Amino acid sequence: MQLLINGLVAGSLAALMAGGLSLVYGVLGIFNLALGQLALVGGMTTWWLHQQMELPLMVSILGGLFVGGIVTWLTFEIAVAPFYRRDRFLPLVTTIAWSMILDALILLGFQEYPRSILTGSKHYVEMGSARFSLEQVCLVAATLIFVSGVAWMLHSTSFGRKIRATVQHADAARSLGISSSLLHRIVFIASGVLAACGGIYVGIDQNISPTLAFPITIKAYAALIAGGKDNFWGTIAAAYLIAMIEQLAVGTPWFFGQYISAGYQSSIALIFIIGVLLIRPSGLFSRTARTA
Amino acid sequence: MPLLSVSHLSLTLNAQQILKNVTFSVDQGEVVGLIGPNGSGKTTLFNVLSGFLKPTDGSIHLRDADITSVSPAQRAKLGIGRVFQNFGIFREMTLEENVLVALEALPKEQRMLLGNIKDVVKGTLDMVGLSQHAKKKAGSLSGGQMRLLEIARTLKSGKELFLLDEPTAGVSPKMTKQVAELIAELKKEGKTVLIIEHDLPFISQICDRVMVLDLGEVVLNGKPKEIKHDKKLQEIYFGADPTA
Repeated sequence: MQLLINGLVAGSLAALMAGGLSLVYGVLGIFNLALGQLALVGGMTTWWLHQQMELPLMVSILGGLFVGGIVTWLTFEIAVAPFYRRDRFLPLVTTIAWSMILDALILLGFQEYPRSILTGSKHYVEMGSARFSLEQVCLVAATLIFVSGVAWMLHSTSFGRKIRATVQHADAARSLGISSSLLHRIVFIASGVLAACGGIYVGIDQNISPTLAFPITIKAYAALIAGGKDNFWGTIAAAYLIAMIEQLAVGTPWFFGQYISAGYQSSIALIFIIGVLLIRPSGLFSRTARTA
Repeated sequence: MPLLSVSHLSLTLNAQQILKNVTFSVDQGEVVGLIGPNGSGKTTLFNVLSGFLKPTDGSIHLRDADITSVSPAQRAKLGIGRVFQNFGIFREMTLEENVLVALEALPKEQRMLLGNIKDVVKGTLDMVGLSQHAKKKAGSLSGGQMRLLEIARTLKSGKELFLLDEPTAGVSPKMTKQVAELIAELKKEGKTVLIIEHDLPFISQICDRVMVLDLGEVVLNGKPKEIKHDKKLQEIYFGADPTA
């Protein structure tokens, strides 16, 4: 039970991050490797506003999301827009370069200390043998609200239909008059705001530190690739699946009652990607058509 | 004034000249066929006309507006509609959504003129006999039905010039007849059609004029009857007669 709850919490974080990536890949066809840094920007800004400026938590969260959105927009204009139409693999390199610049700026501003947005003890609830905090319940609920919101947006709004049309046949969508440059910017910025949301999630649930950018990015990409890259629902499902597998792998006794060290937990996402790609190169939930 | 004027259009890709000094015009209400062997540059010409490729040289005018550097989405808003060789439908969306998204992409003032958008969606599907499948995913349709859906969707989204890339490819003879009827309907409504086809009898039946493209150049341009018996056409498709 405890492992499942831990998996649900970790999976919700990965789902937030990877859901945005899936829309970006589906609509723009690119990978953004500065995702973890965008998460840090959201988390660190929220920490600074709440702990240093002593603003109320909700105001600080909104501030974190706003700054995350602005930095994502800058990321798009500097590291993506000038390149992705020439070759969609160029942003792989340019976003890595940009992530290094962001890493350096974050280190300059916040040093390499772990920061917690909420200080003091959390409000824990015990249910049978499982223990979880009210903050975690709020975070999982927020993720479910986000996923439901995206589902509603994709299927019930004109903007959502335009996104799905672009994902399924970009040229046909453009030839109907759907302007790709505006759509690309909005989707990319939305993915950055979701990443910022993920950073705030980590900062509230645990601690956030500059070294977290890489593991966050890797987990999100594991879910994206295992889920079928541009299949939004497949990516969300894969995020939860990988988190559950990670929890079960380190929380279950193997090899005559011995446990796998928690230090190997992050490697499990990578092993999972390799396994999935060997069996199903297009991802667990991919279909022939590109879907959203 | 012609609806579409193409002047001295050239395109070089990877040091290879794909289009060479292509010049032609199409009048409002004309149905013009574009034929030529594989690799002659027909689809590339459509990609340039719809804005997916930028020409190396030359210009494209829609009426008096120079659209040479205009984006595909902007060209669509100006009235150019494209039907793709590989089916430009959204397979994971329902038939209703396929039409709806095309109408929603129209400029606001044009959308307002349509009236009740649900009625327009229903009318579009009725026109091609697909309303009973309205809630089904478009990917479940046959090739011919997909083609009809794509043409009807483009027609109802207020386009003036239609670029149809092999609309009968992979389509049953019965559906080919329906596609021909739909093109006749477009002509009746005063729409202009530029159509790539390999099926010469089909082209002769529906087109006012035929252009033949070979190695990126327009080598013949005239009425279907004239073109059909032109020696050059035989040479392009079957090679020069060694006994001649």
